[in-house]
Amino acid sequence: MAALIGLLFFQGTTKPELENYPVHPMMAPDMPANVKTIVEQKCYGCHNADSKNEKGKAKLDWDEFEASKKSKQMAAKGKISEVLREGEMPPKKFLEMKPEGKLSEAELATLIDWSASKKKGAN
Amino acid sequence: MKRWHYLLGGPVLLLLLIQLVPNELPPVVHTNPGDLIQSGIVDEEVASILKVSCYNCHSNETDYPWYSYVAPSSWLVARDVRLAREELNFSTWKEIDMIDQLGKLDDIYQEVESGKMPMDVYTVVHTSAKLDERQRELILTWAEETMDVIAEEEESEEEG
Repeated sequence: MAALIGLLFFQGTTKPELENYPVHPMMAPDMPANVKTIVEQKCYGCHNADSKNEKGKAKLDWDEFEASKKSKQMAAKGKISEVLREGEMPPKKFLEMKPEGKLSEAELATLIDWSASKKKGAN
Repeated sequence: MKRWHYLLGGPVLLLLLIQLVPNELPPVVHTNPGDLIQSGIVDEEVASILKVSCYNCHSNETDYPWYSYVAPSSWLVARDVRLAREELNFSTWKEIDMIDQLGKLDDIYQEVESGKMPMDVYTVVHTSAKLDERQRELILTWAEETMDVIAEEEESEEEG
């Protein structure tokens, strides 16, 4: 019951915020512009709905991410955070062919900050 | 000795010899304070599906069949169970960060939906572990609902 009330409350409070946002409605509350820019430049090429990289698409599809609900987005962010901290993305093999695809220190830090931003409460 | 003695004796001797290699089956532990089902957050029906179809590899409560004590099959079983527990161990569920629990549930959803789990090589031998359509739906619904609940909790923790 409490969870149900919580759910109603949550939906009631976040909707107006969505409407106030001038940019992409799904993306806006979660994805700051600087994160979006990095994602578009360094991730989206493989991780999109029409990607020919089947594995990349299966693991993470940004188009789907944008459209998916909160819990799914949080789950994806947790995985993104881990992969980034392990230095697994972009893949080494990919960087051998396309060294300019590498994330700079600052970009990496921005993405890690963003993806781990819901992690504060843990531990 | 005739020729067939050698032909048969060689492999038999080899089979006997490899039994001397100690097996490395991950240990079985039945009392797990952090266990998903023991913590009571899963309803009975889903719990029984998880027990039958997942827990043999993805928990500390592995029920090892006889051939898991005989080399070389013991090596395969040991490796599979070790990797499975590393990937997801329901016996230590409560020790996992909320955000990682979300990730695991998301993985469960995708693996079960695509039919990758339980693995075909496993259900060929353990036919009762095969999920029928209804069981598959139950697991998917459970995973999705649990994700919503955890996301809510995480969110309220953020605000609080």
